[in-house]
Amino acid sequence: MTAARAVRVLYQAAFLALFVWLLARLAAGDARAFPYSLLHRLDPLSAAGVAAAAGTLAPALAVAAALAALTVVLGRFFCGWMCPLGTLQQLAGVLLSPRSRRESLEVNRWRPWYALKYYLLAGLLGMALLGSLQSGLLDPLSVAARGLAAGLWPALPGGRPVPGGWLAALLLLSVLVASRFVPRLFCRALCPLGAFLGVLGRFSLFRIQRSGGACSECRLCRFACQGADEPLGAHRPGECMVCLNCTDACPDGAISWRFLGASPQVPDRPDLSRRLLVGSFLGGLAASPLLRAAGGGRLAARPDLVRPPGAVAEPEFLARCVKCSLCQQACPTGAIQPSLAQAGVEGFWTPVVVPRRGACEFACTRCGEVCPTGAIAEVSPARKTGYDGRAPIRIGTAFLDRGRCLPWSMGTPCIVCEEMCPTDPKAIWLEPVEEPTRDRRLVRLQRPKVDAARCVGCGICENRCPVGAEAAIRVSSVGESRDPLNRMLLGA
Amino acid sequence: MTGRDGGMGRREAARRVAQAAMATAAVGVGTFGFLGRRSASAAAPEVRDFRVAGEPQRAVAARGADPADNVRRAVAALGGMEHFVRRGDVVLVKPNVGWDRIPEQAANTDPVVVAELVRLCRGAGAARVVVADVSCNDPGRCFARSGILAAAQGAGAEVLDARRLEMVPAALSGAASGMEVIAPLLAATRVVNVPVAKHHSLSRATVGMKNWFGVLNRGRNRLHQDIDRSIAELASLFRPTLTVVDATRVLLANGPQGGSLDDVRAVEAVCVGTDPVLCDAWGAVQLGLAPRELGFLAEAERRGLGRSDPSLVRELGRT
Repeated sequence: MTAARAVRVLYQAAFLALFVWLLARLAAGDARAFPYSLLHRLDPLSAAGVAAAAGTLAPALAVAAALAALTVVLGRFFCGWMCPLGTLQQLAGVLLSPRSRRESLEVNRWRPWYALKYYLLAGLLGMALLGSLQSGLLDPLSVAARGLAAGLWPALPGGRPVPGGWLAALLLLSVLVASRFVPRLFCRALCPLGAFLGVLGRFSLFRIQRSGGACSECRLCRFACQGADEPLGAHRPGECMVCLNCTDACPDGAISWRFLGASPQVPDRPDLSRRLLVGSFLGGLAASPLLRAAGGGRLAARPDLVRPPGAVAEPEFLARCVKCSLCQQACPTGAIQPSLAQAGVEGFWTPVVVPRRGACEFACTRCGEVCPTGAIAEVSPARKTGYDGRAPIRIGTAFLDRGRCLPWSMGTPCIVCEEMCPTDPKAIWLEPVEEPTRDRRLVRLQRPKVDAARCVGCGICENRCPVGAEAAIRVSSVGESRDPLNRMLLGA
Repeated sequence: MTGRDGGMGRREAARRVAQAAMATAAVGVGTFGFLGRRSASAAAPEVRDFRVAGEPQRAVAARGADPADNVRRAVAALGGMEHFVRRGDVVLVKPNVGWDRIPEQAANTDPVVVAELVRLCRGAGAARVVVADVSCNDPGRCFARSGILAAAQGAGAEVLDARRLEMVPAALSGAASGMEVIAPLLAATRVVNVPVAKHHSLSRATVGMKNWFGVLNRGRNRLHQDIDRSIAELASLFRPTLTVVDATRVLLANGPQGGSLDDVRAVEAVCVGTDPVLCDAWGAVQLGLAPRELGFLAEAERRGLGRSDPSLVRELGRT
């Protein structure tokens, strides 16, 4: 193994370990401010998608420009050196594949349908331009984080169940199993981030160079080629993932990775059908309003669509969320869950607060701290709770269901919602009453009432309500700070 | 272009470096072009002050069996529509088209009054006259059965009911903050508010200042929680060129929707003014109410939006 290839393997191992370790620290509730979303913020696909959809580039995502610029110099090194999903696929390919040498040579040839990822990218950017950001569905960082956070972690000891987690796990597993048949099939044919980097990588200054004189055309370079970029034939810098397996495999020392290296032949264009490319883009443009109208829609009534604290207004939220599951992994109570239906098709897998599973901790601002795109804005605990003197951040309002409430309709004392209510003064207060029981005794009760103007919608009342199944007090999104149209009270 | 030993010629190398530089520049331009830009959904334009500068606050009332003649006489007494609407103006005429009721039920502004105002605005040279309202019942039914669709279109107006209205963010303060307004309000250069005077179960009377509920949509129903303050706040946000109070028929009970003809009285009068508080006070008198008993009038007067003494209205008498 050459030194370069060894370094590449070390990098891959380090980035994968970092990626998983950060997810683990998130799940463990580590209070230290690690750069939990650093890899996600380096993602130029997210940066371009958010810029197209929201019309603005979140400053947190600006670092992605560095990765994009570096790709122009080095090629798609991110895919071969950094991407955790790429590394996992490579691992899976090695572990699962019983391929013969002949098969390996065949399966690592470039295929025209590997251009599919470029069409997907065009379609996703088309959708983003009309405000529907769906790049996260196929973004490798999101696929990996989602698969681990929602698919694997729930199964670990102490893990919390995540509804729909099996979908995320299934996608991740499918990607890995596909590598058994075609190495890095996802990277080669589907990955929109790979396509984005491929567009830039076509200009790369460093690239694979084969010196024709020394080459005996033994084809060993293709044997372990990750990108199916034909180091022997017409080399495709836009497909090359800089894994350097070819330089390592060449017995003649004819292949190297060099600054301004020139292969004998380089296809001038990436073999894309202009018609298909434009068609994909227009299809994406058309899909945006369709999803909005036919998929439930942003304006559809959805009382259970309670967004995490700091979430921006819904249209902008949908233009920013890359469905990476980091907020869900970060939430200490398990309140944040992926939306399967509440937010419509467009908002599939965006985070919602489900108070019955967990309450939004009053002074916790973890989700906003880890959000890579500003879909959930980072706020200070003082800002969230209103201890800075301004109105607290509200995510909804609690409503009492008197028919289910113990003191209201069962003659049974209970004050749990009131004692849990964290606001100052408490949004839930108790009205003392004396009520005759069935056998004509008098029982002293304290009936909870909600002061909606004080309620922040944290849902701890709903979470702790002893009335099983459906609680006697429940939170809906009305009153949320982020949407001035979704209010109930007149206010000041 | 291949040079010695698989390297490349100088020209080829320069071409490749130039390409890469351009690609990097594109990344940079994209980044800095979008960085820190306000997001598309963040803009909220101000609502214009539609009053004619330097115009004194006053009101004139005309009485007679022909509502169109009442409108003409009252407007003429204020100096004619040419005084308020200039050539090229885009005028929003905002009647009350809240309900699926016919004119005789007096739940909506009289169509003849609306049509006459459209005609006067067109005559004064307005480039466009837009009639719009956000109805409570099905907008198609409200605009058709109120007679306003046919009358206003016949007079040369574009009629936009809520199905065709775009709601847009606007910089509003107070109770209405965060709500959206109808797009024609931001596009107009002049606005004529044309309410009908009616009984209202909460504010006791609804006239011109309450009519601004109709440029709002989502969220407006929470304004009832403090109706007097809300009405006064809306009147300070929306400053019309003219207020025209229709009292051709007034609804005395079961407002604002009414229904029974027993609750309707033919007053056969119209009041036109530049003082929205004065116009509302006049409207209250037509309903048999004392302006000093109405909280929203006191609140509006306290905010300096106008005067609520109905004796200040100049009565032109009956034709």
